Amino acid sequence: MTKIVVVTSGKGGVGKTTTSASFATGLAMRGLKTCVIDFDVGLRNLDLIMGVERRVVYDLINVVNDEIKLTQALIKDKQLDKLYILAASQTRDKDALKQEGVERVLEELKAMEFDYIVCDSPAGIETGALMAMHYADEALVVTNPEVSSVRDSDRILGMLSSKTKRAIEGGEPIKEHLLITRYNPNRVEGGQMLSLDDIHDILRTPLIGVIPESESVLQASNQGTPAIHLAETDVAEAYKDVVARFLGEDKPMRFTEAVKPSWFKRVFGGK
Amino acid sequence: MPFGAVPNRPAETPRLNSRPFEGWLGQMADNTRENGGRKAAARTGAFELKSRRFSLLGLVLHSADMAEIAADWAERAGAGGFEHEPVVIDLTAVPRASAAAVAAGQAPLALDGPAPVDLRAIVELLRASQLQPVAVAGATPEELALAHELGLADAADEPAAERTAPIEAVREVIVERIVEKPAAPVPTMIIDKPLRSGQRIYAKGGDLVVLALVNHGAEVIADGSVHVYAPLRGKAIAGARGDITARIYAHSLEAELLSIAGIYRTAENPLPAEVAGKPAQVLLDGEKLLMQPLSF
Repeated sequence: MTKIVVVTSGKGGVGKTTTSASFATGLAMRGLKTCVIDFDVGLRNLDLIMGVERRVVYDLINVVNDEIKLTQALIKDKQLDKLYILAASQTRDKDALKQEGVERVLEELKAMEFDYIVCDSPAGIETGALMAMHYADEALVVTNPEVSSVRDSDRILGMLSSKTKRAIEGGEPIKEHLLITRYNPNRVEGGQMLSLDDIHDILRTPLIGVIPESESVLQASNQGTPAIHLAETDVAEAYKDVVARFLGEDKPMRFTEAVKPSWFKRVFGGK
Repeated sequence: MPFGAVPNRPAETPRLNSRPFEGWLGQMADNTRENGGRKAAARTGAFELKSRRFSLLGLVLHSADMAEIAADWAERAGAGGFEHEPVVIDLTAVPRASAAAVAAGQAPLALDGPAPVDLRAIVELLRASQLQPVAVAGATPEELALAHELGLADAADEPAAERTAPIEAVREVIVERIVEKPAAPVPTMIIDKPLRSGQRIYAKGGDLVVLALVNHGAEVIADGSVHVYAPLRGKAIAGARGDITARIYAHSLEAELLSIAGIYRTAENPLPAEVAGKPAQVLLDGEKLLMQPLSF
């Protein structure tokens, strides 16, 4: 059964695309057939971060408009044979995303027996973001530990529970996971960043992981390698934990409650 | 205090001119949730008696002379073609000798005073042409008594086309009392999911109870009182249509705006320490918002 996961945030520049790339890669590393779709039509970045920008011939909009077959637009990752990328168009804008077309693409991917479809949402709350989240089963809400990012995530959480297919049809609500990126415990201590408790108090959404602030993310982006591939970095370990928690669906609360402090100790040598 | 210090200003409760609130109200209908127990009461019985307006045919008579009417009818409407449409017999245009004319000594138009229209004949005439007389308008007391005998309702003085009552309504006088019963109380709207930035709930005509977070940027609005059994961080507006007895109750009062019947206060003036982040109620005392801690 294919699961559609949207990576969203409302605010830009918080690490949605980095997370989409690493999360999808992490799922594929575990042998799960995964497709990651860039919904940021007009400002495509995912292909850069995945290191496939030179292999993009056709994109999501071509498929949505039924100009080509889906298989022609899917780019297979060079390292992981279970990972596929569907790039966004750079020359169109978000109005080119039509709901019927998006639904058809997702249905075709389901028919190809993908385990996971990861939708990398654009920033904002307009068409692109709404399309990316509309058919989602689960959502990773990416938040930075600062007030405006948390506020925007709150808005997105509200939209996930009211504007998506599941919300409109009154089905089971989308499963929401909060992912905090660019977290720097030292700056939290100094009162420059919101703490995990502050963020939890505002959003009250189950935490799936914390990605520390790190220069290796920038390095990974410039190399065109998903951060999860950078061996022995905090960021890669943190993303692997996120994937692990995501797959441990039976007891998600136990994971977030118990793993968080021990993970903290492991990465930062205890506090 | 994750949202930074708020400038310290003397507390004041400015009177809001009602316009912005009307603006909010204007959009609220769309945002009102369907769930939460606000569904209209289900069928209460086998029938409903409602005030309705129907468009009917009116037979406006310009003469009381039955022979003249019958001849004209036969000539202009005798061909029929009616399908039992209801008709109101409108007598308002029938020439009658006015009391003033009689008092002034002028000769009455008819020899024996105001001639009663022969309703029985009119009814027969209409029924013969497949029309269904249901009421009379502009009838004298004498004619009205006859009309009632014939099973016709009184459409009073209003033009026949404007107002008439179905025959059943007249006969079932006891049933009519149901209409006069006060309207059923508006059920309280209950919300059990978090209200996040950008979401707005309006409880029209009644109270609003929220059992989950009301975050910054969310709005909870009620014509009655607002109850939030969780942190209230957004905007809370009670008595949105001017009910000055409405109150706001919060399990943790952190609201960015509090308003009762148009009297409001923003978070620019920090909440008093004894209520900030604590269980509290807000009520209106004249032109002033009172904030009182609640202890359980």
